Amino acid sequence: MSQEIMEFLKPRMGARFRMWLNICAHCGLCANTCHYYTANDNDPKMIPSYKVRFLKEILRKKGKVDKDYLQRVYDTVYYECNMCRRCTLYCPFAIDIALMISLLRALLFSQGIAPEGLVKAIENYKEFGNQMAVTDEDWVETVKWCEEEMAEELEGLKIPIDKKGAKMLYTVNAREPMFYPQDMMEVAKIFHVAGEDYTYCSKPGWDDTNLSMFCGDLKTSRMIVENTFKRADELEVEQVAITE
Amino acid sequence: MDFFSFVEGPLLWLAFLIFIIGSLIRAAMFLSVSTKKDKIIYQHFSWKYVFATLVRWILPLNKDLAKNPVFSILGYIFHICLIIVPIWYASHITLWEESRFEWSWSSIPDEMADWMTLIFLAIVIFFLLRRIFSADIRLISTFSDYLLLIVTALPFLTGYFLTHGTLDSIGFLGDNMQLLHMLSAELMLILIPFTKLSHYILFFFSRGASGVEFGRRGYSI
Repeated sequence: MSQEIMEFLKPRMGARFRMWLNICAHCGLCANTCHYYTANDNDPKMIPSYKVRFLKEILRKKGKVDKDYLQRVYDTVYYECNMCRRCTLYCPFAIDIALMISLLRALLFSQGIAPEGLVKAIENYKEFGNQMAVTDEDWVETVKWCEEEMAEELEGLKIPIDKKGAKMLYTVNAREPMFYPQDMMEVAKIFHVAGEDYTYCSKPGWDDTNLSMFCGDLKTSRMIVENTFKRADELEVEQVAITE
Repeated sequence: MDFFSFVEGPLLWLAFLIFIIGSLIRAAMFLSVSTKKDKIIYQHFSWKYVFATLVRWILPLNKDLAKNPVFSILGYIFHICLIIVPIWYASHITLWEESRFEWSWSSIPDEMADWMTLIFLAIVIFFLLRRIFSADIRLISTFSDYLLLIVTALPFLTGYFLTHGTLDSIGFLGDNMQLLHMLSAELMLILIPFTKLSHYILFFFSRGASGVEFGRRGYSI
């Protein structure tokens, strides 16, 4: 395992990571900027600078750590930091703790350690292009159904799909067609009344969530974003808008 | 050559060379590795954000002043004393004038150097006590954090003893204070490139790199 860990880390240890691990003065200014710290009665274990000690330790041990150790890393990087970057705003050296936490999450993911829900979502992204495993047909059907429902309320309401040259491409959270189509209907109503020139796209790229980012799975992350950009290019829109 | 001549001659040269060349290597290493592995900095590079973030954090114009005023202000005073006293202390300048370089510049009054040294040492003691007694800081402190704080303080402490003859009555210390003063300063210079003290130069790269990204995203820098 140690070899795999080092093989994963080495190419990813950029100049910034090395510098940050080196210059952190352990001054503690990041402590009270962290909401995990303040919400846990100022628990010293929640100090951002302390949480990234794992990265330094793993490098020092040349990746020779056991499963138990990685489990402890997991508990910290998933449940004691949500990578909000607030500590960086107060760090005199602007050390990006969140980026190092993200690297640790990516390392764990490479070793098969990640929250189940996220792993499932990543599989869905890869297969269907969205986190909820909605097929292209189901997606288009849902949009059309929303249109029919709303047209009863507002006459002449249309929900454009793949409208070339529209001003903006509107994207949703994949949970909306799955569980909350009423959200899409409300939006359709607003767009209709406002006379907004928008369109959905029928092919992958319409889901604007990017859960793979939370595992540090940058490859899938990139694929998701690229899908949306591809659709935007094809449809020649000026803007991409994302759901609330 | 006796030990004293060695310390005031070759060892001083060595210390300065390690300090200067070591620092340059640290900077060069950051630049060469970052151009390959941290391309995002250069893809979005903007002098505007780099300049803005450096000015805000070199001068006390940043968020920490409101969040942690005591520690921030002491931090600034600590660094001001640390930089000004060794460079502008009159006796040090005299040594530069007598050296082969014959460099000379104006000095600060001796009394001011005295006060700055005492203030500096007081802040060091505060930092040390904070590391020992604050549960937060104790947890994140490593051996080198304690060591480097003491290494940084020693040249000032020995310098004060030397100029005031405080410990002259104590045999060995009284006879060798100048030696100890030079040795401690040389130790600090040598350690700078290899430890967190290298932040004196990497500060600019770290702030710059994060400033570029945070500025572009509209965060406070």
